[in-house]
This record gives sequence, C-alpha cells and structure tokens, in this order.
Amino acid sequence: MTELFTLKGIEQKLQKAGRKQARLYLFSNFIALMIISAYAALMMSQTVQKAFPEGGDSRKQMYMIFVLTLAGCVVFTVYAAGLFFRYKSRQIGVLMALGASRKRLLPGLMREVLLLSSLSAVAGALAGIPFVWLLWGLFRLILVDSSQMVLALDARCLLVSAAFFLLVVGVACLSAWRYLQKTNIMEVIREEHLNEPVKEPGRWCGYIGAALVLGGAVLGYSAPRLWEIWFHRYSPFWIGVFYLPVFPGLYMVMLHTVVYGWKSRKKHLYENTITRGMVKLQAKQTVNNLLIITLLIAGASFAIFYIPAGSISSLLEYKSAPYDYFYHYRLDQDVFGKEDVSKLAQQYGLSVKDWKEGEYINLAAGGILEAEDENHRLYTEYAVLKNEVRVLSEDTYHALTGQNEDVAPGTYLCLTNEKETNLFVIHTAKDLTNIVTGAHIETSFAGYAHYGLLTGIMGWIVLDNADYAVMEQGLTDEWKGRIVQFNAHGEDSYAFAGRLYDLFVDSFDKSCEHVEYYDRVEKLNAMQKGEEYWMESTELETMIRYDRRDTLEFKTSWMYHPKFRILLINEHLLIMGVLYMMFLFIFIVCLTTALIIGFTRCQTIALNNRYLFEDLRKLGASSVFLSKEVRSQCSQVFRMPAWVGMGTMYLLFIGILYANDGKITSYEGIAMLVCLGILVLTGGVVYAVYQRTVKMVREQLEI
Amino acid sequence: MLYVKDLYKSYEAGKNKYQVLSGVSFHVAQGEFTAVMGPSGSGKTTLLNCISCYIPFEKGSITIGGTKLAGEKEERLAQIRNTKLGFVFQDFMLLDGLTIRENILVPRMILGNVGQDAVQLAEKLAKMFGIGHILEKYPAEISGGEKQRAAVARSMMNHPMVILADEPTGNLDSKSSRAVIEAFLEAKEQMKATIFMVTHDSFAASFCDRVILLKDGRLYRQLEKKGSRKEMQEDLLGVIREMSE
Repeated sequence: MTELFTLKGIEQKLQKAGRKQARLYLFSNFIALMIISAYAALMMSQTVQKAFPEGGDSRKQMYMIFVLTLAGCVVFTVYAAGLFFRYKSRQIGVLMALGASRKRLLPGLMREVLLLSSLSAVAGALAGIPFVWLLWGLFRLILVDSSQMVLALDARCLLVSAAFFLLVVGVACLSAWRYLQKTNIMEVIREEHLNEPVKEPGRWCGYIGAALVLGGAVLGYSAPRLWEIWFHRYSPFWIGVFYLPVFPGLYMVMLHTVVYGWKSRKKHLYENTITRGMVKLQAKQTVNNLLIITLLIAGASFAIFYIPAGSISSLLEYKSAPYDYFYHYRLDQDVFGKEDVSKLAQQYGLSVKDWKEGEYINLAAGGILEAEDENHRLYTEYAVLKNEVRVLSEDTYHALTGQNEDVAPGTYLCLTNEKETNLFVIHTAKDLTNIVTGAHIETSFAGYAHYGLLTGIMGWIVLDNADYAVMEQGLTDEWKGRIVQFNAHGEDSYAFAGRLYDLFVDSFDKSCEHVEYYDRVEKLNAMQKGEEYWMESTELETMIRYDRRDTLEFKTSWMYHPKFRILLINEHLLIMGVLYMMFLFIFIVCLTTALIIGFTRCQTIALNNRYLFEDLRKLGASSVFLSKEVRSQCSQVFRMPAWVGMGTMYLLFIGILYANDGKITSYEGIAMLVCLGILVLTGGVVYAVYQRTVKMVREQLEI
Repeated sequence: MLYVKDLYKSYEAGKNKYQVLSGVSFHVAQGEFTAVMGPSGSGKTTLLNCISCYIPFEKGSITIGGTKLAGEKEERLAQIRNTKLGFVFQDFMLLDGLTIRENILVPRMILGNVGQDAVQLAEKLAKMFGIGHILEKYPAEISGGEKQRAAVARSMMNHPMVILADEPTGNLDSKSSRAVIEAFLEAKEQMKATIFMVTHDSFAASFCDRVILLKDGRLYRQLEKKGSRKEMQEDLLGVIREMSE
C-alpha cells in the first residue's frame, strides 16, 4: 500500500491542493496577529506610556481604539476561518458521504487547522515587533526624531500577543469542530453555497438608525454633565453606556444600505436590483463587516485628526505671540537680568530689543469648591482660600501689554487669550488673600483682559493699583514673581534660545521643581486638614525634574516653562512626536484593518456568488454588465463605511471643538480644513484599494 | 437486499412543519436496477437521503442486507455508508485535488486497506466504464460524462450491497447520460450490482427493472419492466401524465 493511497495521504494531498484557498486564511491570521502585536507593543511601550498622560483623554482614546482594532481583527480572523471551512466543507462532506466518520476525520482536520493557524499566527505575532520597529524607525527617519522617540518596548506586550494567538487558534479549532458536528451531511457538502440572508426590515430602518447614531452621540457626550446636574454626584464609570445607541444605529444604517440602498426607488426603479439581490443573500455577515469597517475607519479618522488639531493651533499661536521670548520666575530665584541676556545674545550675533519686565504677586483666590460628601453626593460650596492665582497691577499690565485696562477697585479682570479659548480662567472669586499676612479683600469678576502670553493653568488676573498695593504688603519673595519679555534683533538663533533655556532652568532651586498644576494654596489646605497634597504623589509631578528638562513632560508641564518662540516652533514636533506618531500609527493600523476586512468581504461575495454570475452569463450578460455588477457590490462594502466613518468623525470633531469653548476659532478652522484634506487623501487610499479589489474579484470570476 | 417499511419524515421551517414522507414501503432485490420517480416535492431525494444515512427519519425502518439503520450510532452509520452503500451524485462530488484513480480509490482508503487488489479493481472498473485512459487526470480536466462514470466506478470500489444514485444524469447531455446508464447496466450485469436511482429522466428510468413512483410523500405506483425499454418509457410517461392530472 503506498502512503498516498491512505486517508492520511489523501488528506495531505488535498491540503496541498487547497493551498490557494488557505492563502486568504493564512494572510488574515498573519495580518491580524501582526497588527495586534504591533499595536500592543507600541501602546504598552515605556515610550508611549510616558508620553500619554495617565488618566488623560488621549490615553483613553488610544485604549478605546485598541479595543476597536481588536474587535475588527477578531471579526476578520473569525470570518477568514469561516471562509476557509466553507471551502473545506465540501471535501469533508464528500468524505463523510462516502463513509468516513467524524471521529476519523477530526484528527486530520485538526492537524491541518492547528498547523495553519499556529504558523500564521506565530509568524504574525513575531512580525509585529519588527513591524513596529520598522514603522517607528521610519517615522523617526522621515518625520520626527528626539530622545523621547527612542522605542523602549515592554515585554508584557507579548502577553497580549499570546492571548490573541490562543484566541485565533481556538476559533479555528472551534470552527473545525463545529463543521464536523453538522448532523446533515448534505448540509456539509452544500455549505459552500449556503446563504446568510437577513429578515428584511422596513424602509424606516436606515432613518431610525441615523437618528440613533446622532442621538447616541449627543446623549453620550452630554450624559456625564447631565448626571452631575441631576444627581449631584460625579458620573459613574459606566456613563459611557449612553453612547451605546450609536452601535445599533450604525447597524441599522448598514442594514438599510445593504437591503435597500439610499437612492430613491421611484427615480431609480430596479437600479442595482441584481447587485442588491446578491448582497442580500449574504446580508448577515455583510452588515456585520460593514459595521466593523465603519468603526475602524472612524477610529482611524479620529486618531489622525489629533495631529492637525494639536499641532496647527499650537504652531499658529506660537507664531502670533507678540514677543519672541517670554518667561516668568519667582523673585526668590536667582535668575539672570537684562544685562546677562544681552551679553549672551551678543555671543550669538543678536541684540535684545523691546525688553519689558514687570512684577506680579501670588495670592489665594476664593472659588466654588465641588466635592463629594460621605454619601458620595456632589455638593458645591464657596471656599475663601481655594486656589493660587497670579496677580498683576493695572500699571504692570499696561507696561507689559500696552493695553489700558481700567480696573475698578474691588474688582478684577481675568486674563485670557485673544480668542478666549483659555479654559483656566478664574471668575468666581469673591475674595483675595495674602497668604503670608492673612490680609484679605473682597473682590468680584469684572470681565476679561486679553493677552495670550499671560495664560496658563494657574490663572492670571489684573487688579486695581491700589488694591494691588494693599495685597502686596508683607509678601515674601516666594510669593512674588517677575515677568520678562523681549524680542531678539537679527537672525533669531535657535542656539541662543537653547542656551538661554538651559541657563534659565539652571537658575531655579528645588522649590520650583513642580508641575504646572501644583497649587500652594491647595497644599496649605490639605496640610491644615492633615492630609497629603494629592498632586505630590502624581506620576507627572515626579517626572518634573531639572535633569529631565528635555523631556515631553518637563517641556509641556513645568510650572515656569518659558515661551521661546523659536524653541516652541522647532521643538513642537519633537516634544509631541511620541503622541503624534502613536496616533499616526493607530491611523495606519485601523485603516489597514478596515481595508483588509473590506477586501476579504469582497472576496467572499465573489466566492459565494460565483454560481449566480455564471447564471447571469448564461442569460446573456456581457462582461461589461458583469463588471458593473462586481463594481457595484464591492462599492457597497467600501463606500458607505468610508462615508459614514469619516463623515461622523468629522462632525464629531467639529462638535468637540465647538463644545470646548463655544466657538470655532480661525486656528481651529484651519485645522479642520487640514483634516478635511487628510480625509480626501484617505478616501483616495480607500478608492485605490476598492479598485484593486474589483480587479481581483473580476479575475476570480473570470470576467 | 433493501427494505423500506412505513417510512415517515418531516421538516420544520420556522413554525411550519412539512410532511415529506408518509408511510413509504417497498423492497429492492439483489441485482435489481430500481428507479424512483415523482414530481418535485414528492419526497424522492429525502427518501434517498434517509437510505443514505445522511439524515435521520422519524418512523418506520430501513434495512440494508439485514442491517437496520434506525438506532445505529454515527460511527456505525459511517461504516454502513462505506461498506454497504455506494454513492453517485448529480454533481459528481469528485475531489478536485485528487486524480481520477485516487478518487475511485477514496472509499477503499476510508476502509483503510488499499492493497494491490484495490488498485487493480479500480483499473478494472475504470476500463469497464470506458475511463481507463484518464486515470491520472484531475476532475477539472475531463468531461461531465467521464466524471460521472468515475463516480460510478468509485461507488463500486467496496463491493456495496446497494448503489444509491441521486439524479446521476441530471447534469449531463443525452450522450453522456446514456454512457452513465450503460455503466450502471454494465455494473449490474458483470458485478451483480443492486442499483437504486432517483431520477426525473424517464429515458434513464426506462432502462430500470422497476420504477417506484412517489406522489406527496406516498407510494403512488410501481411499474415493472415487462416489455422493451421503449414500452417501459411510454408506460412511465402515461403514469406521469396521470399523476399530474
């Protein structure tokens, strides 16, 4: 008996013959594992973990999109496994029909499945790390490089890869077992041709779906605030469930797309009837796939918007600042004066002009305190000593800005930028207190003054000269500060700015080594209560160290970080590089995943509808007609998710920008235009993949 | 050889229940070539699938060579399919990745003993059915008639008690159909094969010794071949007309 004439030999030969069909399965597993491993590796790397503030929105978005990508990858691996077994089912069915028992076939099938899934998954998982290195290296080479960009991976990311690997292999084995368990052999044989139709919904389905998407987005966004207003408590962690209507809504929109399309029936009678009829036969999986593709494209869009939204506003703001150099410091620090700066400037061929300086004081401001009682009920109360605030006199403000603001005694003006987009303004203070002497005045908010350089997390206010003089009395130097601003005459020098930055940081002692949020009034309050000041135990506070002056954390969060225009502009990408590149990476990964799912879905449509296309051909359909049908079917898979995913995110993005401060500034408008341009380019990529897919499907169908 | 007694089978689709077979009884003797005919929905294919052990039935009994199918476990049913039954399908069901020789040998491989005798038998069957020259070809490289004759050869590899054929000429032109029917006749003559064939084709059925006619899941009539093939075909057409009235 030759080895070939055994069931095992035959199984091996059939496996060899089925390599072409296994290719898509192998490819899907490989890509899924590579994407998840790469994403997990980058997400969990020390490089990214340090760059994304703990508990911050950007970190939450990164995790959220990871979950989305994971869901997408699970969908397409499960689907690729399903496709593969559909192909295998005919072989299995024939062998069963001829008398091979399930028990007999199981080992061979499991062997094949384990081999294919393990090999592809291991290869994908292993490729994930080099993929990250290569892509990150490419980013560093082409886009931005800095000491923060050095990739430091965390070995724990391998646990995620391992878990996903087990999932992929488990799904494959489960699918194999499920196919063998079908009781009706004829079903197994004909599995390849089985359809997955859905029950047709009413034509209202899509419109209700769109309303649910919109309603879910608005509800989800406003739920936390409404919760606090209605229940006087902080919103619970599960408040995100209010976004859930978005998902059934999207499903209904996709279902409507697949079943009816969006063109008017009266105007386009019987248009795309054949296409829709074919797609409807696989509607269940098609709708699921469209949903995942939409979410992934939405995730990709959201991630890529982060870059222009973050960079354009900042860069334009830096460029429009009235002075090249701006800094402030506490008076008890030994910081250089005008003469030292002039000397240094000369060394770099520059001269100092427009030098302006003025003093400010730090007071305790009253404000509304929001807290939880023992029953976790939110309550608000006015506290006389709530926050530290930096205070200028009318005269100093005039000297620095040239603006004549007349502040009435007993009132204060709050400083904000020209576009009034600075969120950290103090307008509820009714008291100001000298923290050294305990001197106190009553005050009230009288409006805004505009000077972008004097904005920050700790609020700046302007007082009437007389009030200022009263409050200044008895203050020690650690509660006083000086503001300096000047322009550099001549070719501005990056080297000069760098040197000045180093000298500036070197002139501070340890008492100023704090994060921008550090509030000495809050600390005093905590000490009086015998509590530890919460800010001191935060990760960010521990990262603010003078020897880490070139890090992202220091350059974005040090309390006295200077604003040197040339440094800010040139180093923006370096400072924000990790964040931007992570989001660029997420964009690439999500878009790739979405396109692969679209590609595999179209392949499935081709495979399942092969017989229908043959029938159409027999009925006299020309190649042109058949090509149009293929194009029409594939376009359903790519077009709607691209429109909905990108469109929804763009609208959401505009909504977020508007909701931040109740307006869209010109900078934000420019960022939106850039985002629109990116969407057009992304649409171009989707279109190119769609064209390629159509070509391949036509080849498969021999059209 | 094959006994079917009082067979019942129904399907459920949603809330509806469809009675497909309602007390069908007949028997096929060894070496007999029997056809089952009837309009669409009469239960022909369901009957064949029950005999093939592909689907379970609710009531009644099927006995093949003294073995009752009801109550047998999956493993045993597979064994019965492999050793006591041979199968010929409308769409051939040859495995694309295997040569015709390998395809013919598949039932023996499942049985687990492909010796020289099996290889010789495969060649003998192939020659008998006029496909000896294409043994090394793959299914994609041969015609529909050749594929079906290969399937007939495959069905006889384990010397089955009954060959079950489901519309074996359904996908073939008249010339190929005739060649396949002749292959069955050859099998019957030379190897004393018992053949049970479901068909719509009165021409193919007219070669049979007996034709069982089903209507609405019940046995409508049985026609025995008494005269020539042509007379049998005319009788069949007459009954079919009568059934449709």
